[in-house]
Amino acid sequence: MPFPLGAAYALVALGFVLVLNATTAVNFAHGESVVAGGFTAVALTFFLPPDLRIPGLILLPGVVVVTAVLGLAIGALAYLPIRNRPPVSVFVTTIAVGMIVANGLNATFGAAPRTAPPLIGVGTIDLIGVSISRQSLVIIATACVLIGGLAIVLQRTQLGRQFRACSQDPEMARAIGIRLTRITLLSFALGTAFAGAAGLLLAHQFFISPADGAPLILKAYIAVVIGGWGSLRGAALGALLIAVFEVGVAAISSQPLAEGLLYVIVLVVLFLRPQGLLGEPQQVRA
Amino acid sequence: MNPRNSLMIFGGGGLAIYALFFASSYDQRLLTLSGIYVVLVLGYQFIFGHAGALSLAQGAFFGLGAYTSGILGSQYGAEFLVTFPLSVAAAVTIAVLVSIPVLRLQSHYFALATLALSQLLLLIAINWEPVTGGANGLSGVPPVRILGWQLARGLPLLSFVWIIAGLAMLVSYWQINTARKAAFTVMRETPLATAAFGIDRSMLRFRAFLLSAAFGGAAGALFVHTNRVVSPETLSFGVMITCLTMTVVGGRFGIPGAVIGALLLTHLPEWFRGLQEYYLVAVGVLLLATVVFAPNGIEGLLRFGKSSPKPSAGTATDEKSEPADIGGSELIATHLSKRYGGVRALDDVNLRIQPGEIVGVIGPNGAGKTTLANILTGSATSDAGTVTLAGHDITHAPEYQIAQLGLTRTFQTPQLPADLSVRDIIRIAQADRPAANTDAVLRNFNLLAVADMPCGTIAHGIRRRVEVCRAVAAEPGALVLDEPGAGLSPEEQGEISALCRTLAENGLAILLIDHNVAFLKPLVTRMVCMESGRIIADGTPEDVLADPRVQDAYFGVTTL
Amino acid sequence: MSQPSLHVESLTVSHGAVTALRDVTFTARSGEITALIGTNGAGKSSLLRAIIGLASSKGDIFFQGDNINHLATEDRIRAGLALVPEGRRVFPGMTVEENLLVGGIRGRAERRLSIDEVYALFPPLADRPSDRAWQLSGGQQQMLAIGRALMARPRIFLLDEPSLGLSPRIARDVAESLKALTEKGAAVVIAEQNSGFVQPIADRTLTLSNGQMALPD
Repeated sequence: MPFPLGAAYALVALGFVLVLNATTAVNFAHGESVVAGGFTAVALTFFLPPDLRIPGLILLPGVVVVTAVLGLAIGALAYLPIRNRPPVSVFVTTIAVGMIVANGLNATFGAAPRTAPPLIGVGTIDLIGVSISRQSLVIIATACVLIGGLAIVLQRTQLGRQFRACSQDPEMARAIGIRLTRITLLSFALGTAFAGAAGLLLAHQFFISPADGAPLILKAYIAVVIGGWGSLRGAALGALLIAVFEVGVAAISSQPLAEGLLYVIVLVVLFLRPQGLLGEPQQVRA
Repeated sequence: MNPRNSLMIFGGGGLAIYALFFASSYDQRLLTLSGIYVVLVLGYQFIFGHAGALSLAQGAFFGLGAYTSGILGSQYGAEFLVTFPLSVAAAVTIAVLVSIPVLRLQSHYFALATLALSQLLLLIAINWEPVTGGANGLSGVPPVRILGWQLARGLPLLSFVWIIAGLAMLVSYWQINTARKAAFTVMRETPLATAAFGIDRSMLRFRAFLLSAAFGGAAGALFVHTNRVVSPETLSFGVMITCLTMTVVGGRFGIPGAVIGALLLTHLPEWFRGLQEYYLVAVGVLLLATVVFAPNGIEGLLRFGKSSPKPSAGTATDEKSEPADIGGSELIATHLSKRYGGVRALDDVNLRIQPGEIVGVIGPNGAGKTTLANILTGSATSDAGTVTLAGHDITHAPEYQIAQLGLTRTFQTPQLPADLSVRDIIRIAQADRPAANTDAVLRNFNLLAVADMPCGTIAHGIRRRVEVCRAVAAEPGALVLDEPGAGLSPEEQGEISALCRTLAENGLAILLIDHNVAFLKPLVTRMVCMESGRIIADGTPEDVLADPRVQDAYFGVTTL
Repeated sequence: MSQPSLHVESLTVSHGAVTALRDVTFTARSGEITALIGTNGAGKSSLLRAIIGLASSKGDIFFQGDNINHLATEDRIRAGLALVPEGRRVFPGMTVEENLLVGGIRGRAERRLSIDEVYALFPPLADRPSDRAWQLSGGQQQMLAIGRALMARPRIFLLDEPSLGLSPRIARDVAESLKALTEKGAAVVIAEQNSGFVQPIADRTLTLSNGQMALPD
């Protein structure tokens, strides 16, 4: 079933776009942020009494806080000092952060895949005659709550309006009194926390290992290309499409083939539409 | 001898002595590995350093070379003289194939596409077990053997790898000659103006990408013959990150940077041994810190008083177009139209500029003046209409060809890379005119005194003159000047006016866009006023300025 | 009798090697409209952007006696300055109401009050609060840009080419609304190359030319 995976991918892609919109730069450490979220859950489990079978979902606030702090660090160390340099520089600094996170986790936890505690119990639930695993249901529900919360914040609150103003015209946002640096750092915190939450959701059903960052960032990136550069709605939709494609193709052939085909499709899409699938072709005015 | 060269010689000599007399066999292994990485990094410098594009495929080219040599060597017992060229060819072939969709992409998409390519190759290597050996890879790759003569481990292999590295340095040195280095700098730092120099941007990027692939494939082949096994490791993102780190830390542009980066990063695990598994974390911190604090890497830090650029007689582009006729070319625009979204930027514009004429274009902001300049010079395309230059239809010609054909331009903000000297700029512009005399042009524009100063350090008024000089240096027949007087003092504007007059007397057709009526009026032979994408008046300056529609559009109803 | 509200003393603005503004001094008083006339490239935009802190400058900018040239743009807006930039620069993907609300930096209650005032000043905006800004006509976008800046309740109001692209009738409406602002004690500075718009409402007119203030005639 592609929906739990799609829901988690959607969280990853949304977090990626939040940072992208705030900075116009690609945060390459985003995949490692997902991994960091999963391993935070693994680590926090040590502090839970093992015999009580406490649901993993209560780790969510802890994971969100830890990864939000990681996001602040990425913004403050890898973006702010070089915000006026060409975007390639941010690529490289965030690659460096990703490297630090991945190798730090690798050295601490080892390279083997780990699993976090189940989110809520195990087993299946009967829903109108269809039996669905409780894990899947909780993953989808949690992702929906987080995405819905984000939508409400962006649409209905002054903070959300400030986020959007900064992404549409950062200089003008400053000119009406918005504290751009603060909003930028908040975007990093929020975007990375979304990645972290996705890590927690993925970590039980799909396992998580320190080297998972690269395919994850690649999928978030592809989701954004499919959905239109900078579009939140498009990114979520793109993420869902990727998951449907991956699970669908894997069901009739194999997981590696599904992944490989996805990358081939990306190259073809970029060939046919260099501006992305749903994105507007833009003209540069000299 | 300058200190930089002596450092290189002493460093290289010291390294050789260490390798010959003091290095243990383990040290020799590390030095061999460094030599392989030197080749990889030299290749990466082409695309990441000189072309300024973040390719994430360098690791993939390395792995491709590794697998080609690995499979041929272990399965078919092929010799180095077979495996090495085929490895290079495999990497270059893939690069050519993907360059069609990938090379025209903007930075974010280029990085994504090259990353997707790498992941794709990695997946293939892991899953195509019969050929690649799957996750375990292939063992039993023979050592380097040339015409039956086998290289022993240790010093012989070390020397061989460094000889190849030396050849790679020569190729790099030959490819990045002074002129092409300058062309790359223009492309990287002033992308908008690249074509105005007559530089074919896509060809330059293509060349850089292929070179990086060839070097990557070569490094991969060397690696596999040294290691004797090939595994998916060689295609993993880790190789890419290692290469990126070496390039950033050592330096993106020069041979010393590649050597320093490769040596440093291969020996770092030794020096960080106390950190055990965490040493890669330390490498990440080093990479981050280098970007933030030393953007040009160690080589940038070592640059003792940058030696001033030496005159050299290289050419930046290999193809030449016919030199424009001495004298001028008639520039004719017919029925030009252009929309941006819902806005009519140009609406049926007709304009003819004859040799020796200076036509001034005025009009309020957003009237379409710059759009007109962009379409004439090919940096934007029109929706309808044609442009001809001396009778040739140039409507659909690429921007750089239009420049080579003899229609050049200047920009509202002078587009001059800060690090290049004035002489460099003129020389790049003259790359198509081998017979052109740089000093004579500089003298005509009274720029000899500043000829060897970097453009970033000269005053704005002079930069403007350099730009006009750049546009004229290619011996064009027609010239489009976009606000040449903006931001200049009255005296400096006077100098520009005098220059324009001389050029028109020599027969050039000149189109001059400016807001400043006081500057234009005495200078132009004809004046055109635009509003909302249309030409609303065309005639002598006096007539146009007296036209009530012009008064209304440009000066507001109540004044004058 | 009016207070010197904004005083700019020997302000110089350089963009790299280009000096856009050279040693400019002027004063804008509360209750007055000050017109800055000059052709394109004369330095008007650089001057306004320097006052608001979007362009860095050398020299002093006094606001009600305090030098504010060390403050960040955000803090200058909070202190009471506002800029309507050239080209309107509304946030195109946000609705009219959102564009206004995001400009209200002085708390929720103040925000509701201000938005009613803006709607009263520009009735066309009140008619279509949920339309996206890009759907508005040029004139309405200009009203929106002015309204957005007013949401911060400025005491120094800087406008760059506010009449550009406006029909004469709408330009007159805008002019009247600016005049009304000064009656509430604000200082208004309008930069225009089209003196036809600003001449009738200006209390004082200054001319910028080649980055320098021309002598008053």
